[in-house]
Amino acid sequence: MRRKLTLLLIVMAAAGNWIAAQDLDRSVEFHFEGRAIVVPKFGPKVELLPVLELVGAEAKYSLSAGTYGVVLGEHVIQFSVGHKVMLVNGNLQDAREAPVASPGGVAASLSFLERSLLSPLGFRLEQIPLGYRVERGARFADPVSIRPAVADFGVTTTLVLTLSRSTPAAVADIEAGKISVRFEGATPHLDGSTPFRSRRVLSLTSREQTIEVSLAPGIGLLSWHTLEGPPRVTMELGPARATPTPAPQRAPVVIPSGPRPIVIDPGHGGDDIGAESGSGLMEKEITLSLARRLARVLEARGYRVRLTRDGDQSRALTDRTALANRLEALAFVSLHANAFTASSVSGAETYYMSIDEASDADAAAMADLENRAGTASDGRSPLDLILWDLAQVEVLNESAQLALSVQQRLNSQLGGRDRGVRQAPFVVLTGATMPAILVEVGFLSNSSEADRLAQPDYQQKLAETIAAGIEDFVRR
Amino acid sequence: MHRRVAFIALAALAGVILLVWLLTAGDPQHVQDDLAPVEALPTPTPAPEQRVVLLFAGGDGLLHPELRSVPLPAEVHERIRVVMTELLSGPKNSQQLAPVIPYPAAVEAIFVDQQGNAFVDLTAPPQPLSGSSTELLLAYGVVDSIILNCPEVTAVQILFGGHEVPTLTGHLDLSKPLVLNKRFIAAS
Repeated sequence: MRRKLTLLLIVMAAAGNWIAAQDLDRSVEFHFEGRAIVVPKFGPKVELLPVLELVGAEAKYSLSAGTYGVVLGEHVIQFSVGHKVMLVNGNLQDAREAPVASPGGVAASLSFLERSLLSPLGFRLEQIPLGYRVERGARFADPVSIRPAVADFGVTTTLVLTLSRSTPAAVADIEAGKISVRFEGATPHLDGSTPFRSRRVLSLTSREQTIEVSLAPGIGLLSWHTLEGPPRVTMELGPARATPTPAPQRAPVVIPSGPRPIVIDPGHGGDDIGAESGSGLMEKEITLSLARRLARVLEARGYRVRLTRDGDQSRALTDRTALANRLEALAFVSLHANAFTASSVSGAETYYMSIDEASDADAAAMADLENRAGTASDGRSPLDLILWDLAQVEVLNESAQLALSVQQRLNSQLGGRDRGVRQAPFVVLTGATMPAILVEVGFLSNSSEADRLAQPDYQQKLAETIAAGIEDFVRR
Repeated sequence: MHRRVAFIALAALAGVILLVWLLTAGDPQHVQDDLAPVEALPTPTPAPEQRVVLLFAGGDGLLHPELRSVPLPAEVHERIRVVMTELLSGPKNSQQLAPVIPYPAAVEAIFVDQQGNAFVDLTAPPQPLSGSSTELLLAYGVVDSIILNCPEVTAVQILFGGHEVPTLTGHLDLSKPLVLNKRFIAAS
């Protein structure tokens, strides 16, 4: 009997300890500047609103927006239950975790609390025996998005990094052919969607709080400065004034030889089938077949042609434009077949990039160059700046001309419905440094047009028509 | 001996209480599953009726405006919510028009930053969409309808299922906010 009672006592003592541990796991203390609160905890998640209130932030739920808004001084954060995406000081960020609804409003992990809420507000968490102490000074650097733009002039190059928010930055030489741009209290995120072409800037790489700029041999940093409206860092690059160490060996820069090619881009490919007709005809097959025919027609007329894909492969949209930029193409023509919910819609249309949708980085670079056009004193004349500005406009004007030439041929030789020339910020046209268009040859969602597009004879006629439009543009 | 028995009895009683508590307390990991929904704010005073212009898809593959009078709040998030609710409800004056979002969608969340960029999170498409026209009309139907009715908003980025997407059908750049583009609105 006594042994049984002793055993029961031991079991109960163990249960008591376990329950006590569970109690501790159901709440956690937060301390901030002499004040302390106990915050409910659900497994790994804690109530967020009491902690935000503790540090003096105003947190409100907006029923109409479906989001929580957190305001502290100049910091504004918006996040919502069940969503990983959030708006932090004007920047859309992936929080890597979706907060959940809780009795107190909203709960999330301690990692979310510190990384996504407290850090942008300028705080960090320090662990103490019964919980955490909130300290001033963020542990995680607030990210800043960077958009690069490069312009080569006679003997110098201007590199402009446009920042998503105002951030102190410092530029310094690291070694021959390499400079670093360091951002104070911010992690730079490079926007790779705007490819650039430069003889002197080889690559940009972000590492922790810096961006490393690799330069062509013999090129160095001449000057740099920061500007606002929009916030940006501009660097003047040119012949290195002194070479402290020999420039490292680099892969030779590929300079295209022979006549400039026309780059034809068969839309979609691989897993991305694009649109599909009711009879199972896939856009990726139509565009590839059409691109091959177009290439043969153009080559027969003496043009050099490159395809962005010559098989059923996936190709990133930015890689397609990058190929054309690298080859310094004469023109870039992306081929597509359309689809729409209304099956009655038919006809061909041609797109080019719209000037008001040109990348912010380009706009910032142009603005920067305009701002300083009258004060250039580093060997680059104001005329260079104006010419560069005009060159950007010229590419768009030429794209419009190419689009018009192709669309006119489609209208006159195919006799389908003219859907005209339009402008839109298509990914595959972004960053192209040559006349670039996207041709929608017809609607696969329209059964009679889909049947026509499937016929080899019609594809050949389309290829010859588009080729004639390209040639009209080249020979204008 | 009596004290020991009393102690054991007390401990046993405590054990029973703890056991009952343990069985009824539930798993702390699952607390969030049966939580009460987020409490709604008090109903604001009704907003004055105003005319809004909403863009719907026509059989010509272009956007067509429809005017409608609705109570339009002044607060920007609420205003966007009203515009989106009307847009998602579809056209009312014409059987020739269709909603620009070709699947049953809802607005999950709305963010607006201090620069006038609105971020509207829509339900993700249940299956992949295709065609640049589908993409252009969805995007500019939403973007233009919001900008035309919300003066504070200068650009709109559409998110799907809580995610930023580079593009929806492989054409239009949706990775950043889009500005007003009237090129897809049919000439009246």
